Amino acid sequence: MNLEVFKVFAESNIWSALWVEIALVLLALGLLVLELVLPANAKRTIPSVAIAGQIILLVLASIQLIQMPDDCSGMYFSQMILQTPQSAIMRIFFLLGGIFVSYLGTVYLARRELPKMEFFHIVLVVTAAFMILVQSHHFVVFFVALETLTIGFYVLVAYCRTSSASLEAGLKFLILGGFSSAMLLFGIVLLYGVAGNPLLPGYSTDSMNFSNLATFITQNPTNPLVLGGAVLVLVGMAFKIGVVPFQIWVPDVYQGAPTPVTAFLAVCSKAAGFIVIINLLNGPFLGLSDVFIPLLAVVAGLTILFGNIAPLSQRNVKRVMGLSGVAHAGYLLAGVVAILCGSAIAHGAIIFYLFTYLLGSFAVFAVMAHVSQKEDEIQEIDHYENFAKHNPFLALALVCGLGSLAGIPPLAGFIGKLILFIAIFKAGLYTLLGIAILGVVISIYYYFGWIREAFFHIYAIGERGTTDDREQLVDVLKPTPMHALAIGVLVTGILVLGFYQGGLIDRLFYML
Amino acid sequence: MTLHSVILVAGILFITGFLGVLLRRNTLIVLMSVELMLNAVNLAFVGFSRYNNTMDGAVFVFFIITVAAAEVAVGLAILVALFRRRQTVMLDTINQLKD
Repeated sequence: MNLEVFKVFAESNIWSALWVEIALVLLALGLLVLELVLPANAKRTIPSVAIAGQIILLVLASIQLIQMPDDCSGMYFSQMILQTPQSAIMRIFFLLGGIFVSYLGTVYLARRELPKMEFFHIVLVVTAAFMILVQSHHFVVFFVALETLTIGFYVLVAYCRTSSASLEAGLKFLILGGFSSAMLLFGIVLLYGVAGNPLLPGYSTDSMNFSNLATFITQNPTNPLVLGGAVLVLVGMAFKIGVVPFQIWVPDVYQGAPTPVTAFLAVCSKAAGFIVIINLLNGPFLGLSDVFIPLLAVVAGLTILFGNIAPLSQRNVKRVMGLSGVAHAGYLLAGVVAILCGSAIAHGAIIFYLFTYLLGSFAVFAVMAHVSQKEDEIQEIDHYENFAKHNPFLALALVCGLGSLAGIPPLAGFIGKLILFIAIFKAGLYTLLGIAILGVVISIYYYFGWIREAFFHIYAIGERGTTDDREQLVDVLKPTPMHALAIGVLVTGILVLGFYQGGLIDRLFYML
Repeated sequence: MTLHSVILVAGILFITGFLGVLLRRNTLIVLMSVELMLNAVNLAFVGFSRYNNTMDGAVFVFFIITVAAAEVAVGLAILVALFRRRQTVMLDTINQLKD
């Protein structure tokens, strides 16, 4: 037995490169231990431990990002992990997402008789899986990371096991998730099989590696198995990010899932999906750009139109958020097409847009978590009647969040949309840009309908009574000082990024 | 046994599973169809692995089996919990969430 081979493999296993992910998983395991050893009255500190641990990791990862040299890309673990400036930035993104989801989890679980610690445990593991996913450079790591987070999400969506809506959402998500994973896998097997075929030019013995696959595909761009495999992989990813025509699960799952999980799905899952699609299209599938540019442009246009027209008739705010999330996926997909068309700033624009989307979405979901009643799936726009009068602080967060999602200046979402649209314009995709701007105009209708319900008195006729000072319809959870701090951070982020981006955008464009 | 016959069988299995997910209304059968699709992928991996003379595909099969087992464990747990509340596993009747 030749041990030298193993020595060569082991030399590239630099575990310190994955220190954030390892620390997150250790923290998750630590929570399990704490649940066992702590006395019953001390167990309520577990969520604080989870959030504090993530904040420490966020600070450390930010320091590492700031001090990072410009040329810091590296391949580890026998070329299975590729670390780039993008993966370092996305670590910050997912840590922020994990922190805010944990915070929403404390709000959500405060009102319900549910197991508490498991929620934070799964959120931490899924956050680590997101980070591995965006660094993967090999289909084995890619698949394992993707399934770790998908199965974590099945559990999280069905977390409220006393609610049949949550269970139903979990079941729907599981069936469609398994279905899309199977298609993704069939695509992978076709690519693996054809790229390892010794009879074809450019074949490789490690054909699941993205670099080898890229070499192979540029030499055989018209092979039917290559095309079929690439399309199946993209279909599998399209299911995960919910673009037309694979968006059917989005409204139901978003409505049934607990509010923090809806936020997690809407923000982090979508972001990870897009980074993976960029990695794939910009890496292995670069040789197929001629096929994918028109295909993705049509899909992006349809997604924007669907995502903005479908919420117009909705009264349930979780469905509105889900469907408008489809529209945001459409804008981002248009940005991906711009990358393929050679726009230099599109990549940075997508990452910046994702950050503004994170801030805006979490501000809105934070308000929703406070308004949510015992039946979490029933969150109607009517619940926001007289909202601003009784909860001015939450109403401010709602306006900033919705305004940012709609893209109203001077909020962060406006700058995000502006840069993304400039990128699309520079790529010469004028029709797509027109559709996107039309979509933004339509989206203002439903976002502002929600704000109107919260701020302006609507003279209801008949059974609801017409006195001006009537009480709110639902009982809103008052934010504790810590919750107010978290919402304050989100609102400040939205306002600051809207007025002043500093060198942030330049740095982003420079790094990517 | 040529590569073509292996891939043909895998393709037929995959399409059977695909149609099963789309057409059947019993949740258990739908879950079984998803498993059938995953196993079609396993068969194709083994076939390609043998033909290409690389071990990656054969190793990947173990990951797929593990993931499929985890998925079924979560799926059946959700299904049992749902059955306790609704006394049904038919997809037609599991339609509380809709427009």
